[in-house]
Amino acid sequence: MSTYVYGITTSSHPALPKDISGVGDPPLPVRVLTTDGLAALVSDAPENLRPKRRDLLAHQSVLAEVGSDGCVLPMRFGSLAPDDETVTSVLAERAEHYQERLRTLDGKVEYNIKATHDEEAVLHRVMSQNADIRAMTEANRQAGGGSYEQKLRLGEMVVAAVKAQEAEDADAVLSALEGEAEAVSTGPESSGWLANVSFLVPRDAAGTFLSAVEELRESLPHLQVRVNGPLPPYSFVEPGPDRHTGEARADFAQE
Amino acid sequence: MTVVPAQNTGGGGGGSSGLYDVLELILDRGLVIDAFIRVSLVGIEILKIDVRVVVASVDTYLRFAEACNRLDLEAGPRKPPGLTEVVGEITESGARGKSKGALSGAAETVSDAFRQARDEGKEKSESRPRTRKATSARRKEEQE
Repeated sequence: MSTYVYGITTSSHPALPKDISGVGDPPLPVRVLTTDGLAALVSDAPENLRPKRRDLLAHQSVLAEVGSDGCVLPMRFGSLAPDDETVTSVLAERAEHYQERLRTLDGKVEYNIKATHDEEAVLHRVMSQNADIRAMTEANRQAGGGSYEQKLRLGEMVVAAVKAQEAEDADAVLSALEGEAEAVSTGPESSGWLANVSFLVPRDAAGTFLSAVEELRESLPHLQVRVNGPLPPYSFVEPGPDRHTGEARADFAQE
Repeated sequence: MTVVPAQNTGGGGGGSSGLYDVLELILDRGLVIDAFIRVSLVGIEILKIDVRVVVASVDTYLRFAEACNRLDLEAGPRKPPGLTEVVGEITESGARGKSKGALSGAAETVSDAFRQARDEGKEKSESRPRTRKATSARRKEEQE
């Protein structure tokens, strides 16, 4: 029977779980394995575990529940140890490292910010700033929409302008918020958003951070800014986001 | 539905903690310990989430040209209420796994999770319905 690992915390954590349930259908009870001042949150691993919605949510809510009372180093979803003994021996082997991370991250939470453009609003902005685009749009309108080539030319210009605006706004998001955070981790490149950035924020400074987000929303109304948090410090478990990314890749390649 | 029900109080205005928005954190960040194995997530890291893509392609050019045409410059930009609409699909852009079957299986499951999460988002933004289908139908009309 392999062991599913949710996260690592200190054994002195004030609210180690007694009756919370984890992954699996029916949900398996979460257990605590302690050694060397550390505690691993684990459960038995269900057969054929896959990234289903229910199990993703279970993973997240175990971490959220325990993380609300003290620092937890979240594992990436789907981490399996062959048995409980392997978990405790890994903890013991690297106790110093995990203790250091838990001390560093104590009292801090992650806020993930995703920004996208409101399409209509950004088109307005691009048009009002670019006389060529306005002129060409007008010409196409006069011509009943314009020919295929005219449409392509206009579209190409608009896309270039929107992309430039995306880059500019991504910088604006970062510079508006990084001053309120202790660490910043830029998320993996994805085409779904123009900015995807995680900020490590002291729990008691969350209000200030969220006010900065509100100010950002007001100053750039063509942006849609989504806030997710407070979250366990997924993006900050390893020292330094760059190194984290590098290690993650290396680990992945070994599998 | 919120992912962190007890804590998610400070999202503010349009902030909403759906699974969709934190999925990539749960799947792609967090601690990795090399003495452990991971369940069949091969391929997850390379999932691309195609939501609102501005990519250089003929389709995009035509869509934007048409959007400009329809845009009423006199009217102020309208902010849709609530969540941003999430239009898109998950595309699996590569395969590094040894077993293709397992890979696409995992990707499918994740797609389902995305879709469910996305549907939740959609319910909140019904006021501004737009589907990919409608967009592509429009594109077809234009090209004819």
